[in-house]
Amino acid sequence: MLNMKKVSKTYRTDTVETHALREFSLTVDEGEFVSVTGPSGSGKTTFLNIAGMLEELTAGTYELDGRDISKLNDKERSKVRNEKIGFIFQSFNLIPELDVFDNIDVPLRYRGFNADERKRRIEKCLDRVGLTSRMKHYPAQLSGGQQQRVAIARALAGEPRFLLADEPTGNLDTNMADSVLDLLAEINDSGTTIIMVTHELTLADRAKRNIFVRDGQISDGPPELHFAAAASA
Amino acid sequence: MDIGPVWRAMLKNKAGFVLIALQIAVTMTIMVNAFAIMQERANNVGRESGLDEANTFALASAWFDEFDRDLMKIRIDEDLALIRGVPGVRSAVASNSFPLRQGGWSMSLQTEPGSQSPDSIGSAIYFVDEYGLDTFAATLIDGANFTPNQVSWQVQNDDTWPATGIITEALAKEIFPDEEGSVVGKTIYINDNDPVNIIGVIERMQAPWPGWTGVERTMLVPQRRYSDFQRYIIRTEPGYRDALMPEIEALLANSSKDRLIRDVTTMEQVRKLAYVGDTAMIRILTFVVMLLTVITGLGIVGLASFNVSRRTRQIGIRRALGATKPAIVRYFMTENLIVSAIGLTIGGILSVALNMVMVEAFSLEPLAWYVIPIAMIALLMVGQAAVAGPARRASNISPAIATRSS
Amino acid sequence: MFRYYLKLGSLSIRANPALSALMVAAIAIGIGACMSIVTVRHVMSGNPVAHKNDLLYHVQLDNWNPDDPYEDPNEPPEQVTYLDATALHQAGRAFRQTISFKSDRVVQPEGEDARPFQEEVRATTADFFAMFDVPFEYGSGWDASADRAEERVVVLSAAMNQRLFGGEDSVGRMMTMNKEPYRIVGVLSEWRPMPKFYDLNNNPYEGAEEIYTPFSLAISGEWGSSGNNSCWKPLDGAGYEAYLASECIWIQMWVELSSASERDNYMQFLDDYVEQQKALGRFPREVNNRLSTPAEWMVNREVVDDTVNVLLSLAVLFLVVCLLNTIGLLLAKVMRRTSDISLRRALGASKSALFTQYLIEAGMVGIAGGLAGIGMTWLGLRGLENVFSEYDFISYLMTMDWTMVLYAVLLAIVSTLAAALYPTWRACSVSPATTLRIQ
Repeated sequence: MLNMKKVSKTYRTDTVETHALREFSLTVDEGEFVSVTGPSGSGKTTFLNIAGMLEELTAGTYELDGRDISKLNDKERSKVRNEKIGFIFQSFNLIPELDVFDNIDVPLRYRGFNADERKRRIEKCLDRVGLTSRMKHYPAQLSGGQQQRVAIARALAGEPRFLLADEPTGNLDTNMADSVLDLLAEINDSGTTIIMVTHELTLADRAKRNIFVRDGQISDGPPELHFAAAASA
Repeated sequence: MDIGPVWRAMLKNKAGFVLIALQIAVTMTIMVNAFAIMQERANNVGRESGLDEANTFALASAWFDEFDRDLMKIRIDEDLALIRGVPGVRSAVASNSFPLRQGGWSMSLQTEPGSQSPDSIGSAIYFVDEYGLDTFAATLIDGANFTPNQVSWQVQNDDTWPATGIITEALAKEIFPDEEGSVVGKTIYINDNDPVNIIGVIERMQAPWPGWTGVERTMLVPQRRYSDFQRYIIRTEPGYRDALMPEIEALLANSSKDRLIRDVTTMEQVRKLAYVGDTAMIRILTFVVMLLTVITGLGIVGLASFNVSRRTRQIGIRRALGATKPAIVRYFMTENLIVSAIGLTIGGILSVALNMVMVEAFSLEPLAWYVIPIAMIALLMVGQAAVAGPARRASNISPAIATRSS
Repeated sequence: MFRYYLKLGSLSIRANPALSALMVAAIAIGIGACMSIVTVRHVMSGNPVAHKNDLLYHVQLDNWNPDDPYEDPNEPPEQVTYLDATALHQAGRAFRQTISFKSDRVVQPEGEDARPFQEEVRATTADFFAMFDVPFEYGSGWDASADRAEERVVVLSAAMNQRLFGGEDSVGRMMTMNKEPYRIVGVLSEWRPMPKFYDLNNNPYEGAEEIYTPFSLAISGEWGSSGNNSCWKPLDGAGYEAYLASECIWIQMWVELSSASERDNYMQFLDDYVEQQKALGRFPREVNNRLSTPAEWMVNREVVDDTVNVLLSLAVLFLVVCLLNTIGLLLAKVMRRTSDISLRRALGASKSALFTQYLIEAGMVGIAGGLAGIGMTWLGLRGLENVFSEYDFISYLMTMDWTMVLYAVLLAIVSTLAAALYPTWRACSVSPATTLRIQ
C-alpha cells in the first residue's frame, strides 16, 4: 500500500540546513492502523506531509499503491491526493464560510463528480458520522467533536484508500476524543488504512502498530522514555 | 522608534509594501505633473489683457443692403458719433478685433524693406482712430497718440498701409532688441515694403489670440475700413456698462432696417470664453488630484487594516511582552513612513521623467522645482493620516490574545 | 466547475464587503477616468466619411512664398487660391470634385416681426452633396448646370428648414438673404459630421453650415470668406477682382477618385498643372502637391487637441494607480486566505484549479468594476461637459456609444485580470503543507 524507501527531506535556509528525515523507510500494508509518535522536531510532521504528498521529498522513493509518486507533477499529485488520501487535522480546518454540506463537497468538486453523485456521497458520509441533521449548519454552530466528525466525513467522502490523521483529538476533550477514535477504529475495520500522527500514548495504543520517530528516523527505543522526554521539553 | 527592526520585518512581506510604494510613486507623478500644468494654465488666465475689462463691451453691426462705399462711410461716422454721445460712454472705437476675441489680423513686421528680410516678427494689428488708446485703456509710455487727420479710410481689399503706428513695449523690445533709448521715430516695414513710422509706445495691449506665444505683440494703426461688417468697442464710465449695453444695442438696431446687431458681449464674457480650456483644465486636474489622493489614501487604509488583522497575534504578543500602545502606533507609522519615503523617492524621479516627456511631446513648460517637495510633504501627510486609524486599532488589540488557543 | 468558482467568488466577495467595494470602486473610477477621455478622443478623431476614406482626397498645391514654406518643414498651404480652385474644378479631371468656402450672410425671414439673423453659408459646387453622402429629406442638391448658370438656389439644413418653414417640405419656395431672393431646391435631414472634416479651419467640432448655395453665385456676388484667409504677397491692385487673382488661399478643395490608378493619374494631372503655371510665372516653390484621405487630413490638421492627449496620459496613469491599489488589496486578501488555500490543496485542488478560482473571482470584481465604470464614465463626461459648458458644441463631443460601453467593460476585466495575476500566482504557490498545523 504505502512503501517509503530511504526517504530524505532537507530544508534549506540561507544559513542552516535541517535534515528533517534521513533515509526514512517504512512499509504500511492495506488495512493497517498505524500510529506515529515522537518528540517535537523528530520529523513526524515531515513524514505526514510527505506521506500525504503535501511536500516533495529530497531523496529516496515513495510508492503508493505500487506507483512511484515521487516523480509526479503538481496536477497528478493533486489528483492522487484527492482520490486516494483523506486528511484529518487537529484543528479540523473546516472552511468557516461554507456550511457542513459544502465543506464536505470541496474535495468532491475537485474530483469532478456530478451533482447527484456528490449529494449521494455527502449524505452517506454524514450518515456514517451521525450528523445528517446538521447538514445546513456552519462550522461555528457546531461543537469541536461535531466539527471533527464533519472533517472525518469530508475525508471519507472521496472513499480514499487511506486516511492521514494529524493529532485528530488534540483539540477535543476526553469524551469527544473517545468517540472520534471509535469512529476511526470503525472506519479502519471497514478496510480503510489509517496512519495517525500523535504524541499521546493512550491514542497510540488504539492503533494496531506503533512507530516511533526520532531525529528523522524510525527508532526502536522504548516509547515511554521518549514521551517523558517530550513532555518535559 | 528604531527603523531597523521595522525595516527587517517589512522585508519579509515585500510585495505588499512595494505595491503601496509604487502607488504612492505614480500618485506623486500625476500630482506633480498635474500641478505643473495647472500652474501654467493659471498663469495664462492671470495675464492682463490691457483692457478696462469691467467697463468695456463690444458689439458688431452687419448691414445687408447693397454695398455702397460712400454710404458706409457716413453710417460708420454716424454710429460712432451716436455711441460717443450717449451719457456714460467714456470712449468708443470701430476696430477689426480686440484682445481675447480669438480672431483677428496679424502681419509680419521687419526693420528692413524687402521680401527677403530674415528678421520678420509677427504682430497683431488693430485698426483704430484717435479714440483707440483710451477705449482699449492703453497707457502711452512714449511718443504721442494718433491725431484725427492721421486717420485714413481704407478701400476693401486694398493694401496700402497707414504711415504711422503705435506699438506695445513688448513688440518694441522684440523688433529692436538692441535699442536702449526711444524707438519713437523709427521706421518698420509692413507688407514687405510699406514703411510705418512709430509715433508712440504703449505699456500693454494683448493680441486677440490668448494661446499665441506672441500675445503681447501688438500694433495699432490709424485706419477705418469700408466694410458692411463693423465691430464697435465701447468703454463706459465705471458702473455704466450693464445699463448701456441694451441701450446702445437698441439705439443702433433702431437706426436702420438694413442692419442687424450681434455679438453683444462684455469683456468678462469674452475672457471666460477665451480661457475655457485653461479654466476647465485647472478644474479637471484639481478634481483628478483630489480623487487620486483619496484612492491612494483608501488603498493605504485597506492594506494597513489587513496587515493589522493579519498580525493580530503578533501584536498581542508584543503587547504581552511590554510594548505600550503608543509604541504599537509608532510601529505602523514608521512602517508607513518608510514605504512613503521609498515611494516618494521613486515618485520624484518618475515625476521629472514624465515632465520631460510632456515638455517634449506637448510643449509644456518645465515644472518648478518646489512642486516636488510640496507634493512629497502632502503625500507623506496623507499616508500618515491614512495609517493612523488602523494603527490605533492595532494598539487596542488585547495582550490576552497571546495566551489564547494553542 | 465554472459555476462552483462563481459561487466561491461571490462568497469571497461578500465575506469582505468593504474591501470588495473598495476594489470595485477603484477600478470603476480608473475606468471612468480613462474611458471618458478615450470617448472624447474617439469622437474628436472620428471619421464621418470612413466608408469613403479611400475614395475622397483633400487637394493641396504649394503656391507659397519661395523663401518660406507655409508651415515647417515644407508643408503646402492647407487651402487653395481662387485661380487654382476654379481651374481645377473646370478641368473636371476627377470622378467628382468640389470647391467651397463659408461666408456670413444675413437671412431675412418672412413676416412683419421676424428679425433678420446672420448665418454662415457654405458656397460650394454641385458634387458636394454626392461626394460627402449628405442625406436629403426633401428635394436634392443643384446640378452642374446650376453652377454654370449662377442660379439663385439654396439647400437648407433640417434645422434651418424648421426655423424658416416649420419643417415643411419647402422645396420650390423662396427665401431672402441680404435682400436677394433664393429658391430652395433641397432640404437635408439631420447631418452633423463630427469633426467637420471638409473644412477643419477654425473650429472642427462646430456643426455643418445650415445653408448651401452655388460657389459661382457667391463669387459673382463678391462674397468674402468668413473662414481663414492667408496671403504671402501683396495684392496686385485693389478690389474683389484683385483678390480673386491673388495668391491668397481661402478655398477648400476635395476630389473623389474611384481607384488607386485614378489617384495616380490625378496626381500627375496636378503636377502637370503646376508645371504649366510655373511657365506663367506662378508657383515659385518646388512642386509639392498633396492628396490626403479624410483620415490623413484630420491627422495632419491635428484635430485631436494636445490637451486631450495630456489628459489621456494622466488618465492612463490614474488607472495604473487604481490597478496598483487593486493588486495590493487582492494580495492582502490572498495572504489572509493562505490557510483556506492550503486546505484546498490538501483536499486535492491542483494549482491550476486554484489559479482558475482566483482569476474568476478577480474577473467578477472586474465585471462589477466595469459596470460601475460605465456609470463613472457617464459621470465623467457630464463633468467634462460641465467644465466646458461655454462651448456650445460640447455636448456633441460627450456622447457615449455601445462600442465605448463594451470597451469600458472589456478594459475593466482585462486590467483587473492583469492586476490579479501576481496575487493569484502567490495564491497558487502557497504550499499545501505550511498552514495545516497552525491554529
